[in-house]
Amino acid sequence: MNKFDDQATKALLDRNLITENQYQEISSYRNLNIFSLNAELKFFLYLSVLLFTSGIGILIYENIDSIGHIAILSLLLIVIAVCFYYCFKNAKGFQKSETTFEHPVLEYLVLLANILTCIFIGYLQFQYKPFGTHYGLATLIPTVVSFFCAYYFDNKSVLTIAITGLAAYVGLSVTPQDLLNNSYFYADPTLSYSAIMLGVLLILWTVYSTRTQLKTHFTIIYLTFALHIISIASINSLVDYYSEGIWLIFAFVLAGSSYYFYKVSHNLKAISLYVFMIVYAYIGFNIFLFRVFEHVDFSEIWELFILILPIYFIGSIVLFIKLIKNFNKEIAK
Amino acid sequence: MIVYEKQFLDDLALLEEANSLREAGFISKEQRDFIKKQLPDFRGNSNILVRLGFFLLGAFLYLSICGAISLLGLSGENFFFKICCYIFAAVGFTGAELLANQKYYGHGLEDAFCLGAILNVGFAIAITTEGYELIIAIFVAIASFVMYRRYLHLLSLLVFCLASSAVLFYGLFEFGPVGKTILPFAAMIVSAAFYFSTKKTISNLKERYYYNGLLLANSFCLVLVYLSCNYLVVRELSVMLLGNEILPGKDIPFAIFFYAFTFIVPIVYLAQALKTKDRIMLWISFLAIGFSIYTIRFYYSVLPIEVALTLGGLVLFAIAYFSIRNLKNKESGLTFKPDRINSSNAFLNAEAFIVASTVGLKPEVKSESPMDFGGGGFSGGGSEGTF
Repeated sequence: MNKFDDQATKALLDRNLITENQYQEISSYRNLNIFSLNAELKFFLYLSVLLFTSGIGILIYENIDSIGHIAILSLLLIVIAVCFYYCFKNAKGFQKSETTFEHPVLEYLVLLANILTCIFIGYLQFQYKPFGTHYGLATLIPTVVSFFCAYYFDNKSVLTIAITGLAAYVGLSVTPQDLLNNSYFYADPTLSYSAIMLGVLLILWTVYSTRTQLKTHFTIIYLTFALHIISIASINSLVDYYSEGIWLIFAFVLAGSSYYFYKVSHNLKAISLYVFMIVYAYIGFNIFLFRVFEHVDFSEIWELFILILPIYFIGSIVLFIKLIKNFNKEIAK
Repeated sequence: MIVYEKQFLDDLALLEEANSLREAGFISKEQRDFIKKQLPDFRGNSNILVRLGFFLLGAFLYLSICGAISLLGLSGENFFFKICCYIFAAVGFTGAELLANQKYYGHGLEDAFCLGAILNVGFAIAITTEGYELIIAIFVAIASFVMYRRYLHLLSLLVFCLASSAVLFYGLFEFGPVGKTILPFAAMIVSAAFYFSTKKTISNLKERYYYNGLLLANSFCLVLVYLSCNYLVVRELSVMLLGNEILPGKDIPFAIFFYAFTFIVPIVYLAQALKTKDRIMLWISFLAIGFSIYTIRFYYSVLPIEVALTLGGLVLFAIAYFSIRNLKNKESGLTFKPDRINSSNAFLNAEAFIVASTVGLKPEVKSESPMDFGGGGFSGGGSEGTF
């Protein structure tokens, strides 16, 4: 309990910025002395799911030859079936708008069932190869299951698994760590083409869902993935392609995607998209400048260059402050 | 001492209050905008991403200024090298002062200059004294405290807390082996003393703007009390500092005390936090419990990791499930209902992000196994609030 909050509310009242009624309502709410463990307990549920599934994953991985495969598979299958049974029993069925379970535990049960399904199919493929050498199929099936669960039970965490699965099917790893390390792009430059295609696909899907009002609250997740995938892939190619003018194409791709995300972040009032868009655009612009100046001989004037640098940064800061201010003004409308 | 006017800080507090009331749904959006218009224009960023971005830009600016200065001073050669960090620190102070006069508060740019100045003070003293840790720690502590008192810069206060604990440690090292032996107890007693004194100051506090700083110092002491006598920390430090090799079958002196401390303190924290409804203490107690479990597993592999994870997951699930069942229908006090005013939703939003980084599916290029289950490694779970 913070006595200063109450003082501030009183000060707002004294300056006639809130009404007497509002003040009464606020102080009576504060006097309930609520100490909510909502976020903490949900986090515990979530952590327990992650711990449990990691434990199971390692358990299977380590004992892949020693315990009876059938025993493991059937045990997993039973757990999955029980989880899904409870989820389906308590779900309200498919709805186009945002839905929640009545009991918060179920949301995490969906996550648990989903991750276990992925482990189950992975194990099945490893041990019995039902899909033969079609490894793509073994990735696609968990992805389809995840998409179904995400839409049916309205679960954002499962949706992110589904999207990473989709990307894995294309041959990309889009988990946040890998995107940052972007070792995949270095391994195979052509992957950046598929990455950009995937990003465009995700964007098109959000356009379609917005039109049909299908789970519009998922849009931001799709767009976040799309933004990062497209931007990182094109920045990588900007640096990588040296010989031909191919890097120019990627400069255009980055410029186009930045413009699109500029628009869309205003529409969605999503500052996280906006900030990352600016960061990527700024990085891309600097690489572009660097590549243009590459052919200029700087050996004579490099001192001047270093002296100009602070001015360049001050200019960028002023520009960014303006951009952020504009954004805040626009979304306040 | 504070560079900002008192009126400015009071208005800032009003704006924050209006924002949190708006989030809680007590006042409408129009009313909040009206309040914002009535108050002077602030330059601050409430969004952590924006602030981080400006921090980076500020750091680039700072670096480029230092680069330009070095270019001019290169002719001074050795002499310049000796004084360059003092100059850079002065740049930092000047930058912070300029930004503060422009009413930048919590913006991100001033973070870069404040922290940069403190860092450079440290470097400068290190160069002058040739790396004498105690003196460096003392000067860094002084510089960061000045930063906090003048600009109310919370990150500087955190640096101050770290630096003052470093002063305590290095100070005790001066006494040789005796100092090193009593180090855990001294650290515990000192931080406990500071904990109670800051707590008392908070309850008698009149000026609102010192509240956050005192709260930070208070929480820091709480963490330090736990860490100072944690078995793992004490044992590893005694190996490192005293060069004591702990033979199998033997243990560090007072081992029982440290074991007891490692287990009792988190539970005391937890009970106290639930009793006094102190959310920060609650979180510290969770972390402390986690670290205590890690301490045990570090020395005794009670269970294989996979069994421990699976069982841990089940136990945690049970605890959460029964707590929710008990708290679900309570209307006041300890409850499961989300708090309208102080909601900690930010980190529930990070959930999807953490899922993506821990269990995201990966393509099959590397291993013959179709998928990596992504088990283990939780280290990437920083809550960045991307969504």
